[in-house]
Amino acid sequence: MKNTALTDTLRPALLGLLLALGVVAATRAGPAPTDRVVCVSKQINEFIYELGAESHLVARDLTSIYPSQIQNLPSVGYHRALSAEGIISMRPTVVLTDGNVGPDPVLAQIRSVGIPVETLEPGATPEAAEQLMLQLGSYFHREQAAEAIVARWKSQLAQVGHYDGAGRPRVLFVHFGQIGNSYLGLTRGGPADRILEWAGGVNALDEVGGMAHLTPEIIARAAPDIIIATDAGFDRYGSAEKFRELPGVALTPAGKSLRIHRIFETEIMYFGPRTPASIEKIAAWLHPHG
Amino acid sequence: MNDSWPVVLEDVSYSIGAAQLVRAVSMNFAANRMNVILGPNGAGKSTLMRIAAGRLAPTSGRVTYGDDNVRAIEPRVLALRRAFLSQHVEIDFAITVEEVVLMGRYPHFSGTPSAHDREVVHDALRLVGMTSRRRQAYPTLSGGEQQKVQLARVLAQIWREEDKPTPRILFLDEPTASLDIHYQLHILDIARSFLQRNCTIVMTLHDLNLAAEYGDRFFLMHQGMLVHVAEGRGNLARDTLEQVFDVRTRMLADDRGNLAFRFFL
Amino acid sequence: MLTRLSRAQVYLLLLLCLAVALVASSAIGAFAFSPARMLRFVEEGLGLAPAQAADTLDRNVFLTLRLPRVVLCGFTGAALGVSGTLMQGLFRNPIVEPGLAGTSAGAALGAALLFVFGHSALSYTAPLGTAALPLVAFLGAFAATMLVYRLSTLFGRTDVLTLLLAGIAVNAVCNAGTGLLSFLARDPQARNITFWNLGTFTTANWHGSLLVGVVFLFCYALISRHGKVLNALMLGEDDAAFLGIDPERVVFRLLLVNTLMVAVATSMVGVIAFVGLVVPHVLRLLKSSDYTFLIPAAALFGATLMELVDVVARLIIRPAELPIGIITAIVGAPIFLWILLSQRRVRT
Repeated sequence: MKNTALTDTLRPALLGLLLALGVVAATRAGPAPTDRVVCVSKQINEFIYELGAESHLVARDLTSIYPSQIQNLPSVGYHRALSAEGIISMRPTVVLTDGNVGPDPVLAQIRSVGIPVETLEPGATPEAAEQLMLQLGSYFHREQAAEAIVARWKSQLAQVGHYDGAGRPRVLFVHFGQIGNSYLGLTRGGPADRILEWAGGVNALDEVGGMAHLTPEIIARAAPDIIIATDAGFDRYGSAEKFRELPGVALTPAGKSLRIHRIFETEIMYFGPRTPASIEKIAAWLHPHG
Repeated sequence: MNDSWPVVLEDVSYSIGAAQLVRAVSMNFAANRMNVILGPNGAGKSTLMRIAAGRLAPTSGRVTYGDDNVRAIEPRVLALRRAFLSQHVEIDFAITVEEVVLMGRYPHFSGTPSAHDREVVHDALRLVGMTSRRRQAYPTLSGGEQQKVQLARVLAQIWREEDKPTPRILFLDEPTASLDIHYQLHILDIARSFLQRNCTIVMTLHDLNLAAEYGDRFFLMHQGMLVHVAEGRGNLARDTLEQVFDVRTRMLADDRGNLAFRFFL
Repeated sequence: MLTRLSRAQVYLLLLLCLAVALVASSAIGAFAFSPARMLRFVEEGLGLAPAQAADTLDRNVFLTLRLPRVVLCGFTGAALGVSGTLMQGLFRNPIVEPGLAGTSAGAALGAALLFVFGHSALSYTAPLGTAALPLVAFLGAFAATMLVYRLSTLFGRTDVLTLLLAGIAVNAVCNAGTGLLSFLARDPQARNITFWNLGTFTTANWHGSLLVGVVFLFCYALISRHGKVLNALMLGEDDAAFLGIDPERVVFRLLLVNTLMVAVATSMVGVIAFVGLVVPHVLRLLKSSDYTFLIPAAALFGATLMELVDVVARLIIRPAELPIGIITAIVGAPIFLWILLSQRRVRT
């Protein structure tokens, strides 16, 4: 299911980049201010790996699972049920968040023992994601790497291009909310919706903003031609055939034609270096013949 | 204080909504005597007992203990002057017999019980013959044993205090219901022994022969009203009894010549 | 009544257990502290010894995170243990706990209202600051408990069966309200409600811990004087009344105190089920159902149990933590069923 072609082309470039950065880092005098980092945001963690700054990371949150090496780091728990003591015990010199953390007092508790907390809110546009990458680049003193990543990603985005053909199939993004134990639909306006638009689809839900609870009737009425389910929700059924058992799905065109696909949550929930690949992947599902 | 009439009910009525449970009842309970209230089911006996014991406020009329209106006596002080034994007390918790009897002493101490309180508990248990069971859990006892423990509790509550020999009142509400005959007689014998300790007993009993055997003064109730008062069982009016209970009676003599009722429809 | 230990010996045993639990809870976790270091940190914190710069982080963690957490945990456990004991006495049933009479569910509903509408109602709740959450929780708990109480005394007298049924109904309404709010809520708020419903001590600070402590001590002082009253209530309300007690008034007042105690603790740590059930049950088995014994013992044992549960919550997926309510439910639910079944056995 993974788009291996893209990562394969990137790997040599990344290695070269890492080597160059290693030289830059080695020439820097004294210990870096960001020696030990606990980061509890999956997007920021992915960006740190992309920058090659992962040696600073000492712990992650439960939902940060990309790239897979990050899973070797200890988890400090779910990002909305953190424990200050658990984080502090990793003896970080800084804690990075994207603002979506809980319970509320946890950041104040971490600050109270003298550990700085940096909140970098990524926003929901590709431009904001670029800014975040550049910000992290300067934070880890890898400005050139950050600029190179952003430049490459912009050109890839331009290459992937925006679909302008006729006939946009209706697509329903199904996400499984592990907190409420319920299926949710991604509505219009977020990163997934934007990626879908570029890939040449139209969101089968009309609502704008956030996630909507899905009922069998809502799924049936949305009448998607294609369903794209995120990993946790898809894996509860295990296959496209089985996924039709989710009430309402069998009634939709997607259910009848079995156009049901699995995607990693981290590929569509925020913009990042993998966005061009995500667009290509979804476009291939939407327009298999061109 | 009126020594011969320690409990006086004056024109007592009690109603819940439209239902009149007690209608204009006036009674005097005789001091140091067994006062027995008789009557068929629904005659208002239990309600009247609770009014007389100060638990229910009469809708009209009043109850006086000596010179005091019973509703004006502070609850804790009232608890030193009268005790009340219910038909059956169920306890869902594993508490020992001794701890149940000690509850009778609660009005007498604050904080921890004195040596005297412990002594009274011990004596009361011995009086009802339950000393050997004092550490047993109450719920594991038989119905008859449980009732003996409850009797020990109410007796401990009004045990004679050497320094303050005030008159006390013991209410027994169907104390022998659903017990074996041995327990019935045992419990009533023990209760009656308290008449010698400056105690007045007020009791309801549905067994007319048992009532006649133990009672000194009889009050016959019917449909919330007092219909007959008799001093001594010889004065119980058979015709009123037959009318109220809706039965016919015959008197039988036992082998010692004592008379007992037999009932027919 | 498994033990022939005297009451004083049982108290001594419980005190010892509490002391061990407190030391263990202070020492164990994502950070581990030796007793000597803990002592030094306390001395340094009180200004009795000069602070050593090398240990700043550890000392800060111990003094500003760990200690208030241990204090909050202890007082919360004590409050839940005493509350369960008290309510079992008032309801004359060993399966009652704060969760059953609507108290916890009402507090949770109050808190959920604040989580969801707190931002739009900021102008009203802002002046209250950190007191807003305990206050709305108390109001919710009080409203729910009073509703249960009013429903069950509709005909003038407290009837236990009606009380229990009213509790079930009011719980259902409160849980539905909380469910509706978490459905309406935007994502982060909804997750706040969910995690609050499972209980946690991670958010402890000195301010909240001492508030829970002071409220608990105040309520305990009132409740502990009513051991004999609760004993007498075992006989039923009528027979308690004949012992010089005003049962209707005393039940009302104790429910009020109980609500205050539970709501303030709940507002700080979320809903923690089954502690109020397990604590008195174990103590009844250990010694006696006499409330003059149970109430102080429940405070000691409740605190001990809560500390131990919190240690487990901190250790199991270190450095992350499990919600407390999950552990107490896993331990408590089987015990609940056991009590229920043994009650049935006694009856049949």
